[in-house]
Amino acid sequence: MTEPTKYQNRIELLQGTLDMLVLQALLREPMHGYAIAQVIRSRSGEIFTVETGSLYPALHRLERQKWVKSEWKLTDSKQRAKFYQLTTIGRKQLTTDHQRWLQLVQAIGAVMEPEVQP
Amino acid sequence: MHWPWERAKESLSEELRAHLQMAIAERVANGEDPAHARAAALRELGNLPLIEDVTRESWGWMWLENLLHDTRYALRQLRRAPAFTATALLTLAFGIGANLGVFQLLYAVILAELPVPHPEEVVRVHAARSPFDQSWTISYPAYQRLRAATPDIPLMASAYAQDATLDLPNRAPIPAACTLVSDNYFSGLGVAPAAGRLFVQADERMGQGEWPVVLRYDFARNTFGSAQQAVGQHILLNDRAFVVIGVAHRRFLGDRTGYAPDMWLPLALQSTGALAVPWDSLGPGHDVWLDKPWYNQPTIFWLVLMARIPPERRAAVLAHWDQAFRNDREVMTEATADPVVKAALLHVKTEVAPLSENGMSKRFTVPLTLLMALSASIFLVGCLNLANLQLARLHARAHELSVRIALGASSGRLIRQIVLEDALLVAGGSVCAFVLGRAASGILVRWVSNRNALFTFDLHPNLPVAALGVGLMLLSLLCFSILPAVIFIRTGIAQTAGSGAKVAGISQTARQRFRSNVLLGTQVSLSLLLSTMSACFAATLVHWETVDVGMDREHVLIVRPELHQPRYTDHSEMLPELYSRIQERLQALPGVRSAAVEMCGGIHCGWITALYVHGRSNLTDAQVHGQEDHVGLGFFSTLGIPILRGRDFSSIDTDKTQPVAIVSRAYARQLFGDADPIGQWVGYVPAPDDHKFMIVGEVADARVNGAEREAPPVVYMSINQNPAPINSIRVRAVGDPRQLSDSVRHALHEVDPALPVSDIVPLATELNGDLGTEKLLARLAGIYASLTLLLVAIGFYGVMSSRTARRRSEFGIRLALGATRRHIQMLIVGQTARILLAGILPGAILSVLAVRAASHFLYGSVGANSLAIIAASLVLAIAGSVATLIPARRAAFADPLETLRSE
Repeated sequence: MTEPTKYQNRIELLQGTLDMLVLQALLREPMHGYAIAQVIRSRSGEIFTVETGSLYPALHRLERQKWVKSEWKLTDSKQRAKFYQLTTIGRKQLTTDHQRWLQLVQAIGAVMEPEVQP
Repeated sequence: MHWPWERAKESLSEELRAHLQMAIAERVANGEDPAHARAAALRELGNLPLIEDVTRESWGWMWLENLLHDTRYALRQLRRAPAFTATALLTLAFGIGANLGVFQLLYAVILAELPVPHPEEVVRVHAARSPFDQSWTISYPAYQRLRAATPDIPLMASAYAQDATLDLPNRAPIPAACTLVSDNYFSGLGVAPAAGRLFVQADERMGQGEWPVVLRYDFARNTFGSAQQAVGQHILLNDRAFVVIGVAHRRFLGDRTGYAPDMWLPLALQSTGALAVPWDSLGPGHDVWLDKPWYNQPTIFWLVLMARIPPERRAAVLAHWDQAFRNDREVMTEATADPVVKAALLHVKTEVAPLSENGMSKRFTVPLTLLMALSASIFLVGCLNLANLQLARLHARAHELSVRIALGASSGRLIRQIVLEDALLVAGGSVCAFVLGRAASGILVRWVSNRNALFTFDLHPNLPVAALGVGLMLLSLLCFSILPAVIFIRTGIAQTAGSGAKVAGISQTARQRFRSNVLLGTQVSLSLLLSTMSACFAATLVHWETVDVGMDREHVLIVRPELHQPRYTDHSEMLPELYSRIQERLQALPGVRSAAVEMCGGIHCGWITALYVHGRSNLTDAQVHGQEDHVGLGFFSTLGIPILRGRDFSSIDTDKTQPVAIVSRAYARQLFGDADPIGQWVGYVPAPDDHKFMIVGEVADARVNGAEREAPPVVYMSINQNPAPINSIRVRAVGDPRQLSDSVRHALHEVDPALPVSDIVPLATELNGDLGTEKLLARLAGIYASLTLLLVAIGFYGVMSSRTARRRSEFGIRLALGATRRHIQMLIVGQTARILLAGILPGAILSVLAVRAASHFLYGSVGANSLAIIAASLVLAIAGSVATLIPARRAAFADPLETLRSE
């Protein structure tokens, strides 16, 4: 296992969130960068537009962390592209990140809407 | 080039291109116009190179890529400035190399410990000083008594023998430095053998047919190829059979710093008379038999002691030894008639002294420290010079650097690039420096060595030297690169950013100018210091080489025959006849004025004796002690020593007639004051045997112990009245004595074909043989001084060139407004003059202090040395001015129109 905690501590909230979104996008099947951006945009109801300038550094960073691995393949439209695939470590990381995110949402929710609390 | 990141970069570009393609394809599929779709996709994608850059940073090895880029860039920059590169490389090589070379020597002579376990436990044992030589030597019976008194303490004895001749089949005879050592020498010190075995008790047996010998590692390797091959070799040493039983550990060079014996032999070998061993004794008239074995004679003092004693046991062990040695002290008092000296001798206690307190460290600590200081100053001058050149170079690059900063280069990266460039220089310079340093320490050893005995030091690379090297490397990098770069980027760029280069040039602030003036001034000061020292040392050396020695030093040749062989020593009554034949034959040679034989071989004769005057029993030891020499007929006229009173030896003085003596002026004054010594009776021992010799002559004083030593009191006896093997033949030539070498050798061969001649040297060389320290200081200081002078000249040239280049338009305007060329030149030279003056003043103060500190090594008055300071200042001023005149002329003779037009 690489050192996720160390990594996690270092990155900022949004960046960490982007990493999580990318990992989540790759959960089902391997995808290339463009598809990842599209998936995140469409799933978020066109709210998140992932900047290319953020997406690719994130992908390369994830690859260096060995959370994803990559492979050059042809797309359905015969376009050569680099496909990213989740690794086992990446899958574990996603689980941790997801849990953390849920805690965060809960905590923020509790702060923002105190009257809802019993 | 196919670096791994080149492929990764390609891959990234392709990935981003694919992204773009897919974005366009999707837009087109959604019905957009292809051209429009492409523009929109590109807009969406953003700044492609920037994305690539940011992404690459996430790879984590950008720094390596940058480093390689920077290195390539730095190499290109260095190639573009070959003059600067060469100056820097040479400066660093010499600056660091000189320090390494001197430090290596300093370490070997002063700091290094004996390469044995627990070297701090090993000490010299000083029981008593011998009566005449005042050396710490004792007799063999005394050694045995001391050793028996403390059986559990290893007490080692050794005696330094004269060089022996090693004969190997099919090889020229090799001179070998020999030391006799006790059987426990190696075991007591804890020296391990590199091959074979070292001495054991059985090796001390008397009367062995083939004596065992242990070799020094390097000697074994040079003579037999390797340590292993040396073991078991049967060798002939002084025509006697020996077998090599072992080779000592590689790092073990003996216990005396500088003097590494080639061979160690058992003490018992002395009984055979195979080797000449220096000795002292109670003197003639006592129970001393030099021709018989010494092992049972308590009156011959020849052994130096060393012991391994744990510090806590020292007091107890020394008390034991004092007890055992008491008898020997009483024996030693017989050598003197001086009651004060007698009483003092009995009260002496046995002491120990660390091995580091030796003649070598005493002699060289101050000169080597001085040299280290001089070396440090040359390093400093070099660094200052480079720093100044570097600042000038950076100013010249100000425009380029400011543009790069404006384009977004980080100042960190710029500093890194500049420093990297210099790091390459430092690395290159250091490699040269290490090579130079190693060569230098070898040369230095040769310079400090006496002519006849080359010092042997352990000059293996070691940690302290390496640490010093790396330290100097880093220091030089800091001085001439990091600091200037940081200072420059912080201050210089700010004003130039965004403005034109010309503005930048003119706006060199007063502070920047002041900074480089201070650097130059400091260089001038240090250079003045080095030049002064160099002049003083050179003057000292010249003084000793030309001082009146009381002899005709330019025309005399010293020939050293080898008469210590049984065929001469066993028939000493035949020797006077041989000597007269030699003299006759040599005097018949063309170009020879006269020739004479002499017992002493050279300046290290040191034959200390005592003369008691008949009828005067109240002389102190200081009065009776002097030097003795036995000489043949015509000795004084051959050496050019004038006879002041009485007569020379003559052929009527034989072993059948009254023994006569001739004293030098100093001895006569010591013994008789201003009274006439002729006709006085003297003897080796106090009354009643104090009238053995009659003094028949008095000669002038001569510096027989070396040009730099005062003329000693000498008593000369006739060799014909005391027939013994001589050690030298002196030949006085009409012209250059060197040209006589061959004919003298030839003539001697005719007289006695079996007589080997070991050495022929001019008297002048011999008398200067001990000027090693002076030569070292003079030569090295001379080299340093010329180097710094060169550096200062380069410094002035570099700084003034860049300054005048920046002020070109100003000069153009001045010229156009009516200033003369002379005016412009004076403007520039005036700057140099101010810097020179500011540097020379503190430099002169520094020099005075240094001259005072080194006064021990300097001959000459304060006046002569201040003259050296003035001369050095003049030389410096000339060098600085000439170096400035070149850019000054260039500036003054530039066409003002051209200059202004190029604005």
